[in-house]
Amino acid sequence: MNLCEIVQARLAPDEKCLVCIDGVDGSKLAVSLAIVERRGDRALFIFNNQRVPPVRGSDLSLQKVYPVDLDLKCLAAHEHNISIQSGKDNLKFDIPRNPSTHDFFVQLKLAKDLYSQSAGFGLPASFSWLDKYRDQLSKESNSNPFANDIFDPLGYMKINESGPKKTAASKSKSLILPKSGSNNSLNSLTVSRERSPHRKKSPSRTKVKSTIAKSASKESLDDLDSNSEIVETLGEIQKQFGLAVGVPPKENFKPGTARDTLIEYFLHDRESEFTDIQHLSVFCGTWNVNGKLPPDSILEWLSVDTEPPDIYVIGFQELDLSNQAYIFSDSQKEVVWQEKVEECLHPKGRYREVKLIRLVGVMLLVYIKEEYYSHVRHADCDMVATGILGVMGNKGGVSVRIQIHNTSICFVNCHLAAHQDEIERRNQDYRDIEFKLRFKQFLPPLTIREHDIVFWIGDMNYRISDLDINEIKDLIAASRYKELVMFDQLTKQLGKTDVFRGYSEQAIKFQPTYKYDTGTDDWDTSEKCRTPAWCDRVLYKGRGIEPKVYRFHPVLKISDHKPVSSLFKVEIKVVDPKRCKKVYEDVNKMLDRLENDYLPQVELDHREFFFGEVKFIESQQKDLTVMNTGQVPVTYEFINKLDDRNFSKPWLKVGPNKSVIVPGNKVVISMEVYIDKNNVGDLNSGKDTLSDILVLHLHGGKDFFISFLFLLLNDVSTVYGTYVPSSFGCSVEALVQMHGPIREVPVATLLDLEQPGSLSKVDVAATGGRLYSVPKEIWRMVDHIWRYGRHQDDLFQQPGLDMEVQQIRDCLDTGSPDLLPGSIHSVAEALLLFLESLPEPVIPFPFYQSCLECVNNYLLCKQIILKIPECHRNLFHYLISFFRELLSNAEHNNLSIKSLASMVGEIILRAPPSMSSNASRQLRKSEDLKRAAFVYHFLTSEDYDE
Amino acid sequence: MAKKTYDLLFKLLLIGDSGVGKTCLLFRFSDDAFNTTFISTIGIDFKIKTVELGGKKIKLQIWDTAGQERFHTITTSYYRGAMGIMLVYDITNAKTFDNISKWLRNIDEHANEDVEKMILGNKCDMEDKRQVSKDRGDAIAKEHGIPFLETSAKANINVEKAFMDLAQAILNKTPGRDSEGVKGVDIYTKEQGSRRCC
Repeated sequence: MNLCEIVQARLAPDEKCLVCIDGVDGSKLAVSLAIVERRGDRALFIFNNQRVPPVRGSDLSLQKVYPVDLDLKCLAAHEHNISIQSGKDNLKFDIPRNPSTHDFFVQLKLAKDLYSQSAGFGLPASFSWLDKYRDQLSKESNSNPFANDIFDPLGYMKINESGPKKTAASKSKSLILPKSGSNNSLNSLTVSRERSPHRKKSPSRTKVKSTIAKSASKESLDDLDSNSEIVETLGEIQKQFGLAVGVPPKENFKPGTARDTLIEYFLHDRESEFTDIQHLSVFCGTWNVNGKLPPDSILEWLSVDTEPPDIYVIGFQELDLSNQAYIFSDSQKEVVWQEKVEECLHPKGRYREVKLIRLVGVMLLVYIKEEYYSHVRHADCDMVATGILGVMGNKGGVSVRIQIHNTSICFVNCHLAAHQDEIERRNQDYRDIEFKLRFKQFLPPLTIREHDIVFWIGDMNYRISDLDINEIKDLIAASRYKELVMFDQLTKQLGKTDVFRGYSEQAIKFQPTYKYDTGTDDWDTSEKCRTPAWCDRVLYKGRGIEPKVYRFHPVLKISDHKPVSSLFKVEIKVVDPKRCKKVYEDVNKMLDRLENDYLPQVELDHREFFFGEVKFIESQQKDLTVMNTGQVPVTYEFINKLDDRNFSKPWLKVGPNKSVIVPGNKVVISMEVYIDKNNVGDLNSGKDTLSDILVLHLHGGKDFFISFLFLLLNDVSTVYGTYVPSSFGCSVEALVQMHGPIREVPVATLLDLEQPGSLSKVDVAATGGRLYSVPKEIWRMVDHIWRYGRHQDDLFQQPGLDMEVQQIRDCLDTGSPDLLPGSIHSVAEALLLFLESLPEPVIPFPFYQSCLECVNNYLLCKQIILKIPECHRNLFHYLISFFRELLSNAEHNNLSIKSLASMVGEIILRAPPSMSSNASRQLRKSEDLKRAAFVYHFLTSEDYDE
Repeated sequence: MAKKTYDLLFKLLLIGDSGVGKTCLLFRFSDDAFNTTFISTIGIDFKIKTVELGGKKIKLQIWDTAGQERFHTITTSYYRGAMGIMLVYDITNAKTFDNISKWLRNIDEHANEDVEKMILGNKCDMEDKRQVSKDRGDAIAKEHGIPFLETSAKANINVEKAFMDLAQAILNKTPGRDSEGVKGVDIYTKEQGSRRCC
């Protein structure tokens, strides 16, 4: 049974295992990776192999199931080493190289294509069939939600320079020895682990290769059949899955959070404050070797200067012209040439390889002096193929980027389209490389142009045009390069078009490097007879680059191109940890300050409100102006303090209690103190005091306390106001005991009178006084209406005037003048308001329910009246008699018994506060009718007697 | 999940009698400045300061409260969310020191049980007007097992240390994220959401 069949045994009948490969996961456990299809939807299954190799379905234990959708990514990080990414998961596997591996990739690509196609047609894939498998999975969540959110400023700022981080660069630790290093062998043994000195004589192929594979790391599916379809597939896979070079993106994230981005920005802005300039010399060499093997020495190219350069950037083109090179990433020539390069690096310097990257015949090698190696960070590489069909690797660009101290440098080696007339094709190749190349170790991936310094070398293939070949050769013979270069296709474009925008080139003072008869310095004598051209170039871009030399090396004759080299002195910004830390702290402080400045800020014109005398039903209003003095819109809101149910006392009306103010604008909040029938009782009885503190809360900001101050006689710092007690809102009990007008009653006595049960306690004889049978204030109003208003048209139907009602209040509370002021209508309204303000209504709350229940029986109603406290009963009878008398004058005052009954019912029979609000409208209406009916009995009954 | 800009968020509260220098201490710590004019804090204000402790980026949200007596009842409602409380008195005003025990009772009643506390005797630059000896401060702190420092917002003495010590004490109690720490932080974030003043 093959793997596929074993997996099939685990699947439902309508599911099919398309391909299955075995491999080893990150913990070195044997796994099987299978692609399973069901009705066009494909999924990737990962099993743990309980037995190796598995022989039946039960030998596989399901580890993961991923639908093959856009979220699923397959990255070939190294040779036969892939990582599968989906959502937060990132799993790595070592896979063998065999034909089924290829099948696996083809199927994966196909699955992904199908997915995006059907998505394109609006046919959503359904992966619900995977749910049954997911349930099988052991529940494990080792994902740390904070993992991506940790910002290590020291790490990012490279303050901690000791112990270089393990980056991609550190993977290739091979030390390149000076060639004359035989006497250094002792020393070299101690440093060089991977490449021993004896390799020069018998190169250990496997070791070298593995080093290269690790550092160069182009995905290599070596065992693929060599036909063009597969080559295309390779490119497709590369495009589809982003099969990429480099280490998985772990460390070199660009900072992610908003604050980190800001810190990065400001640090960059102030870079000069904490960096010093160090100069490094950079050797850039490019050579199209025409598929040849290296000559005995290339010292004449790489080591002609007296001083060793600090960095070597060496680019080759047409390194390998064999057909195999197009298909296999492995190339014998790569190894041979690399060895030759390392042999011929400047003998006075000790170098380490930073990176090697190769796309078919385009290879780039970067070396740095050992002493600087530890300062190299975030080395990464990428390539863009621009060859046949725009994807083949016979043309294209490869690039290595590094960061030395605080300066980022990018090296690009390219081989652009050939032929005299293909200038536009070459331009396009350039654009493809410039815009498609991405260093994927970074998130988001870095582009070439995001570097401080760029060196772009290679066989750019630009030719000399518009000049006869013989004229060209004449000019060359006369060393009149300055005139000749005017006809160079690249020179003509540089600085004038978008091609290599921003790049510069040193003046060319050497003869064209192309095309020679191999082994000679003679111009091409083949039948094609190519025109000489400066194909091989070195361009640079960025600040702090000082070009030194630009030359060609005609001594090396193996190729039809001559090698070119150029030397530069570049400025490297070196971070001073101390100064950097200070700037970092500075930036943080500034950001804190910004954050504080951007908190909501308002100014209030009052923190305290003082009211003078506050009287019943007499509104006093003051304004609170809230000005937004901050930078951001502010939402303010009055919030409840402690366990309060409302943000203010009932007698305080605030509006608007919530609003938004934009910077520079203001809102005027009205603060109105108004004592009405609903809250006057608590104030008269001392249950409530006329003082309050409001909490004005700014959303996302501070809270203000706003004080309303009254009656704070002891506190000299505050002006005080006071509530002026009124007979309105006093209890019947208190009123019948109250002999003089209320303003003449001391506050303490008033509070005593308002104590529940005060009437029963009072010793009438002892006080020498007597009790009124009804409150004198009610008597005065009733008497007034009876005397002057019983014939008044529309009595109790027209509203009074607020002002007159207030005058009547003062008259009642002060006892003067004798005659009540105002119109009859105002007195009538004052009477009704007085009755409504009684804390306990005429028929006290406890009797409310039973009154409603017996409205159909007059006798029962009368019995209830017998039960209510005497002072209330007296008042009830007094009022009923009064209204009966008014009704007897109905021909004058137009009173209708129906409307009077419902009005009086509403006032003398009030629902207890506990049940007033939650009744439905219908219920309330029926209660209204019942209350009217109750009063109706008494108003109409023939046998009514007091 | 929205991206955070810090590893941990600590909420600190400054309490103490009116005029002991709570606002000045906060101003010194957050803005490294000092203002001699006395403006009574009428309400609750806060400032943000990001610090690094134990390799962690910690955002301190420091709440400054009104010290006036008439607001004491209201300010207690802000105790609950605090992870650390600075109790400040004025070494040149014995009454503010006498009130320490009253403030401690307030903390016991209204703050979280495990809140980190610290007593600060502020204005220690004014030696000539000193009414409360350092020993008395030490004694009351020892009695309650609370760290104590004499500070001066004006002369910038011990201000940074006071806040950092308090933050460190909270950090020491915060479980590391490597173990179950994530949970601890999560709970805190949740609390933040339900609380109105944050």
